[in-house]
Amino acid sequence: MGCGCAERRELSGPALDTALLEPYLAEYKDSEAKGGLIAILQKAQDIYGYLPEELLTYIARRVGVKPAKVMGVVTFYTQFRLKPAGKHLVLLCQGTACHVNGSAEIEGAVRDALGAEEGEITGNGLFTYTNVACLGCCSLSPVMMIGDKTYGGLTKDKAAAILKDIEREETSG
Amino acid sequence: MRVTVGKGSCGIAAGASEIWERLRAGLRESGIDCAVAVTGCIGMCYLEPVVNIEDGAETLTFVKVDAGAADEILKRLRGEENDAARYAIRPEDVRLLHSQRRIALRNCGVIDPECIDEYIAREGYAAIETCVRSLTPEAVIEEIKTSGLSGRGGAGFPTWFKWDAARRSPGGPKYIICNADEGDPGAFMDRAVIEGDPHAVIEGMMIAAYAVGSGEGIVYVRAEYPLAIVRLEHALKQARERGLLGDSLFGSGFGFDIRIKAGAGAFVCGEETALIASLEGERGMPRLKPPFPAQKGYRGKPSNINNVETYANVPWILRNGGAAFAAMGTEHSKGTKVFALTGKIAKGGLIEVPMGKTIREIVSGEGGGIKDGKAFKAVQMGGPSGGCIPEALADTQIDYRSLAATGAIMGSGGMVVMDESTCMVDMARFFLDFTCKESCGKCPHCRIGTRRMLEILERVCAGEGREGDIELLEELAGQIRDGSLCQLGMTAPNPVLTTLRYFRHEYEDHIRHKRCTARQCKPLLTYAIDGEKCTGCTLCARQCPGRAITGQVRKPHEIDMSKCVKCGKCADVCRFDAVEVN
Amino acid sequence: MNEIKLTLNGVAVAGAEGQTILEIARAHGVDIPTLCHDERVEIYGACGLCAVEAEGSPRLLRACSTMAADGMVIHTDTGRVRQNRKTALELLLSDHTGDCAPPCTLACPAQTDCQGYVGLIANGQYEEAYRLIMEKVPLPASIGRVCPHPCEDACRRRWVEEPVSVAALKQFAGDLALRQAPAEPETAPPTGQSAAVVGGGPGGLTAAYFLRLQGHAVTVYDAMPRMGGMLRYGIPEYRLPKAVLQEEIDRIERMGVTFRNNVKVGREVTLEHLRATYDAVVVAVGAWTSIPLGCPGEDLSGVLGGIDFLRDAAGFALSGRKVAVVGGGNTAMDAGRTAVRLGAEVWNLYRRTQNEMPAEAIEIAEAEEEGVVFKNLVSPLEILGDNGTVKAVRLQVMELGEPDASGRRSPVPLPGREEILEVDTVIVAIGQRPDTAGFEDIRRSKRGTLIADEHTFRTNLDGVFAVGDAANQGADIAITAIGEARRAAEAAGRYLRGEAPEDRTPYWVKTEPGAEDYAGREKRARVHRPRRGAEERRKDFLEVHGGFSGESAAREASRCLECGCLDYFECRLIRYANQYAVQPEKYKGRMHRRAVEDDIPEIRRAPDKCVLCGLCVRLCEETVGAGVLGFVGRGFDTVVSPAGDREECASCGRCADICPTGALLRADAKRAPGGKVEF
Repeated sequence: MGCGCAERRELSGPALDTALLEPYLAEYKDSEAKGGLIAILQKAQDIYGYLPEELLTYIARRVGVKPAKVMGVVTFYTQFRLKPAGKHLVLLCQGTACHVNGSAEIEGAVRDALGAEEGEITGNGLFTYTNVACLGCCSLSPVMMIGDKTYGGLTKDKAAAILKDIEREETSG
Repeated sequence: MRVTVGKGSCGIAAGASEIWERLRAGLRESGIDCAVAVTGCIGMCYLEPVVNIEDGAETLTFVKVDAGAADEILKRLRGEENDAARYAIRPEDVRLLHSQRRIALRNCGVIDPECIDEYIAREGYAAIETCVRSLTPEAVIEEIKTSGLSGRGGAGFPTWFKWDAARRSPGGPKYIICNADEGDPGAFMDRAVIEGDPHAVIEGMMIAAYAVGSGEGIVYVRAEYPLAIVRLEHALKQARERGLLGDSLFGSGFGFDIRIKAGAGAFVCGEETALIASLEGERGMPRLKPPFPAQKGYRGKPSNINNVETYANVPWILRNGGAAFAAMGTEHSKGTKVFALTGKIAKGGLIEVPMGKTIREIVSGEGGGIKDGKAFKAVQMGGPSGGCIPEALADTQIDYRSLAATGAIMGSGGMVVMDESTCMVDMARFFLDFTCKESCGKCPHCRIGTRRMLEILERVCAGEGREGDIELLEELAGQIRDGSLCQLGMTAPNPVLTTLRYFRHEYEDHIRHKRCTARQCKPLLTYAIDGEKCTGCTLCARQCPGRAITGQVRKPHEIDMSKCVKCGKCADVCRFDAVEVN
Repeated sequence: MNEIKLTLNGVAVAGAEGQTILEIARAHGVDIPTLCHDERVEIYGACGLCAVEAEGSPRLLRACSTMAADGMVIHTDTGRVRQNRKTALELLLSDHTGDCAPPCTLACPAQTDCQGYVGLIANGQYEEAYRLIMEKVPLPASIGRVCPHPCEDACRRRWVEEPVSVAALKQFAGDLALRQAPAEPETAPPTGQSAAVVGGGPGGLTAAYFLRLQGHAVTVYDAMPRMGGMLRYGIPEYRLPKAVLQEEIDRIERMGVTFRNNVKVGREVTLEHLRATYDAVVVAVGAWTSIPLGCPGEDLSGVLGGIDFLRDAAGFALSGRKVAVVGGGNTAMDAGRTAVRLGAEVWNLYRRTQNEMPAEAIEIAEAEEEGVVFKNLVSPLEILGDNGTVKAVRLQVMELGEPDASGRRSPVPLPGREEILEVDTVIVAIGQRPDTAGFEDIRRSKRGTLIADEHTFRTNLDGVFAVGDAANQGADIAITAIGEARRAAEAAGRYLRGEAPEDRTPYWVKTEPGAEDYAGREKRARVHRPRRGAEERRKDFLEVHGGFSGESAAREASRCLECGCLDYFECRLIRYANQYAVQPEKYKGRMHRRAVEDDIPEIRRAPDKCVLCGLCVRLCEETVGAGVLGFVGRGFDTVVSPAGDREECASCGRCADICPTGALLRADAKRAPGGKVEF
C-alpha cells in the first residue's frame, strides 16, 4: 500500500536524518538564522511531514535560539504540525463564503467519509483533514484543498466522491 | 493567433488545468502552431474555466469550458465545423466586464503572468524607469499624494503619508514590505493580483523603494497561496534576469531586490507589527504603536508596509499621473477598489469599480443579483473586522467614510452577499469563532472576551440564549473594543455590533421565541413529515441517529420530537421533499 | 533630557521626554494597576489594566507603553477606565482556577487563616503562627480549646482520611505564647478617640482588642465580677481552665484596655450615658437568659436554666442527686458532665436521636463515657413536684418524622406513649436568648435580638454597633461573635475616622473539588491530643485534654494539604479584583483544567492560575538569559511552558518571584502574609 506514514515514522525515530535539512540551515546564515526560523520549519515539515520534538530541539541548537522559542513559534502558526498527518492533507475552507454556502455540512460529509475526526489520521494512513481559514477561492465555495489542488463547488456527495477517488488510486496503484 | 486559458487558483479549481492540457495536446496532434498561454484570473469566477482566442483585433471568449467544449474549440481552431459558439460568453457578461474600471486588475486575465515580456508590452516597468531617470523621490511621493491613494488593506491610511514618514525616518537600511497575508475570510483580491499580474506588484514596490530610499523588499505571502508564491518567485527571477532587480537599476545608483517570506497561518499577521514579528521569526504578536513601522519596523529599522492592491495601483498612477487617479471616486475616497464578490450572489468573482458606486449597483449589476432568485438581505464587508450592511442601506456609496458610518468598514474588499436564508446570529457567531481562533492571546479582552462572546452566541444559536444575553454582548463588545491592543481585537466585536444594530429582532427571536427565521440554527428547528408526500421509503428512519422516526414500510412516517436530536439528516436524505422544517 | 509638563488627574506634573505615562504617574504617587509590567523587563503591554484616558484621544491608552508627551491631560481613574480594568479582571478570573482562601478559612466565621498558621507550625515557626492567629482571634489558647471548629468540618483532608486538628493546633500556638510571653502586639498611636464595649465575653474582648490596636481608648463594661463572659461562666473548667482564659484576658488588659466589672447597662449605667461619654459603643452583651421549656411545673424548686447552672456550678451540691438535663447542644453536654462531676446521676433528655444533636460528637461521646445516660426521643410534658420541689418528669415519647427545612428529621409525638422519669433536679438547656433590657433604643428583631447591619454591624443608633449572641441571629458559637466583633471594630474604626462604611464581602476564587480529586493520596493518621480516662476525669474538674507536644504538633500540621493559594498574600490579581469589586460570574464559560507534566526544578507550576502576562517568559529570556520558559499555543489556549533541556534552568526562582499570581511558585513557598492584601 502506498501509505506514507510508515516511512515518516521511521524519520521520527532515533535515526532522524537531519542531513536533508542541512542545505536550508546553511542557506540562512548566522545573522539571518533567527529571521529564517519559520522558513526552516516550513522546509522541515515539507521534508519530514511534521515536526517531531527532537527535530525542533535540533533546529533550535543549529539556529541558535532557545527550544522554548521554537516551540512557541511552532504552536503559534496553524500550518505547523507536531504530530504526523496522513499522506494527503485535506484542507477544508471555513471562509465566510464557504460558511454561507454550507461548509459545515461538507465537513460532516468528509468526517463521515474518512471516519476520522479533524487532525486524526485515517485508519489507512491516507488522510488527515483539517479546517483552515479562507483559501481564497470564495467564488467556488464551498471548497477544499488536497495537496496543491483546489476543489470547488462541493456538495456532500462530491466531496465524498473526491476522497474515494484518491483512495482508489492509492490502493490500486 | 493566441489561445489563453485563465489559470488562477479558482480557474484551476474549476478544471482549467485539464482544459489547458487538452487544448495543448489537441493542437499539437493537429500540428497547429499555436501557443496555449496562461493568464491570471479575469475575475469572472462564475464563468470559469475561461478560454480566449485572440485573432488580430478580435478576441473570442468561451466560458464554463469543459472537455466537450474544449473539443469544440479545437475543432474551431482546426477550421472544422463546430459547436463552440454555444460556449461563447454572453453579451451581458461582456458588458459587466466593461462596466468596471480596472486599474489594479488592468493586466489580470489579459497577460500571461509568467511572461515578463507581456507585462513590459503593456508599459510594464516604464513607470519605475521614469521615476529613477527623471523624478526625485519627493516628486514621486507628491504624485502619490495627488492621487489620493490610500491603503487598500482595510485601514485606508494615506499611502503617501506612510512613504513620507519612512523616507524621513533616520537610520537604515530601510525596508519595503508587501503585505500579502490576505486573511479576511471571503477575500481573494491579493491572491488574484499576484497570480495574475505579479510584475505590477514588484514594480509598485520598486517605486516605493525608490521613494523611501530602500534597497530591500519583502513580500509576506500566505502559505495557503502556493500558486501565488510560485508565480511571484518566477516573476522575481525574470525581473532579476532582465536587470530590473539588483544593483544599480537603469544605470543609476538605485538598487533594489525582493525576497518572499511565506506566512505560516496566522490571521493576526496581517497586522503590521505582528507581520514584522513574524518576519523576524517570532510569534506573530502585535505590539503597541507608536513607534510605527515607518520609525521602527523590520529589524528595528524604518519600514514601509502596504498591501498588494495598493502597490499594484502605483505604476499606473506614475504613468498616468496622480490627477487621473484622483479623478475617479468620491471626495474622500479616490480611485478604484477591487472587490471579491461572493456568497449568495449569482455572478461571484473579482471586480474593480470606481469608489462611489453603491452597494446595490454592484450587487445587482456586476454581481448579477441574488442567486436562485432569493431576497437580498445584507452584505458583509470588511470580514471579521467589518460588519453586515442591511439591504435597506444598500444605496450606501463605496467610500471609506460612508461605509464606516454603517458600522462596517471598507476592509480589504471582501463582499459577502447574504440572502433570506442566512441567519445573522449565526453569521456573528461565525466571525467570532474566527477571531477567537485567530486571537494571538496577548490581551485578556480579546483572548478571553471574544471567547466569552462566542460562547454567548453559541448558546443563542443553540436555543439556550437567556434574557440579558444581548446586553451582555453589547457590554463585552464595548469593553473589548476599548481594551484591546491591536486592530484584530478592537474590531472583533464589529460583526456582532452591526448585526445587533440592524438585525436585533433575529437575536430576540432566537432568545425569546427559540426561533431561527433563516432556518439555519438546527437546534431551533422542528421537523415534521408531510403525510401526503411521504412514500414510506424508510430512508429517513434508517438514517435517524435518535431513532425518532417511526412508521411502516410504504406508509407515511412520523417524527417523535421528544427523541429528535435535530441533526437534519431526515430532511437531507428525503427524496420526496416530505420533511418540513420549521 | 527635555522636561515635559502634563496634567495628571487635574494636577500639573513634570516628567522627562521618553518616560511612559506609567513612570510619571508612579513618580507622582499615582497608582496605576498592571499585571504585565515590570521594570526588570522590556515593555510588553498585554494585560490592559494600565489603561488611562487622555483628553483628545478617543482611545484608552496603555500607560505602561505610551510615551508621555508635553501637554497631555491624563485621567487615571475615570468611570470608563475603571470599567475597562474591571472587565479585564473579570475576564481573567472567568478562566482562573484556584482557591484564594482555603476551605478552612472560608468555613471559619472569623476567617482565621488556618492553613497559614498550620503551615507555620509545621515549619516550627510558632511565634509567627501565634501572631497570624492573633490577626483574627485574640484568644487563641481559649478558642483552640472550646471551638467546635467548622474549619475541620470543611477540611479537604477529610477526603483522604480525617481532617487536620486545626483547633488543637491553635491551642498549641496559643499555649506556647502564654508560656513564652512574646511581646504584646503594638498598638497604633493614640487617636484621641474612645470607645465603650458593653460585655466582656469573646465578642466584647475581641472588639476591645481590635479597637485598641487602632489606637483608640477602650473601656469594657461587664455585669459580672470577672471578664470572659460565656467563656468563663458558660464553659466548664475541665474544658477551659479559668487560668488560661484569665491570662489571655490579662494580655488584652496589658495593651491598655480598661475593664469595668459589675456594671450593667440599664442598672448602673445607661446606654445614653455611654454614647455621651464615648465616641463609639459596641454592644456585645451575649445571650444569658435560658429559654424555658414552657411546660407545667417549670417554676418548681430544682428546675434550673443550663446557663444559670453552669455559671454557679460550684455552688450546687449534687452528690447523690438525680438530674435530668434537657437539650442536645453543647450547653446541655457541659451541664450534664458538670453535674456528673458534682456527684449526680445524670440523664440527658432529647427529643430526637443522638445523630441529630447539635452538640459536637466528641462532647456527646465523652459525656456518655463519663456516665451521662442518654434518653433519646423524649420530650418533657410536665415536671411533677412534691411540696414545691421536683419529683419527676413526665415524658412524651417521640419518633422521627420527615426532614424539616434544615434537613433534620423532626420529632413527632407517638400518641399515648408516655413515661415518668424520677429525678429531683431538671436542668433546661434548650437555648439562650439575650436580655436586652437597657438597650430599648436599639431596634430589635422579633426574636428579641438587636438589629445590626450584617457587614458593618451598625445599629439604628449613630455610633452604636452590636455583635455576637445579642445581635441579629442570636446565640451562636464563640468564634462567630469573635468574627463579628473584629469586623465591627473595623467598621467602628471607619466610623471614627469619618470614612464611609465598607459593606461588601471580599471576592475569592474558589473551587469545589470532591473526594475523587483526592483518591490515591497517601493516608496519614490524624494526631490526637492526649486525653484522660473517663473514670479519672469524671471525679474532678481538671482539663480533659492535654495539649500537643512540639513534635506531635509538627506531625499533625504537616498533614495540611495546603488548599489555599500559597501566593495569596502577594497576588496582584486578587488585590485588584477586590479593588475593582469584580463580578466574574456573568462571564462563566469554558475554563482550562491543565495537568502539569513537565515541571521545572524547584518551581511549582499552576498553569490554570496564569494570566499570560509573560513576565516569567521575558525575565527568563531577557534578564536570566536561560530562555527555558516560552508561550505555547495561541489565543485562548495559550499556556506558558518550559521546553527543551531543563539543564538551562538555574533554578534561580526569579520566574516565581515575578509572577503576579500563584501560577509559578518556589517549591518551598508557604502561605504567609508577607505583603498584606488590602481590601
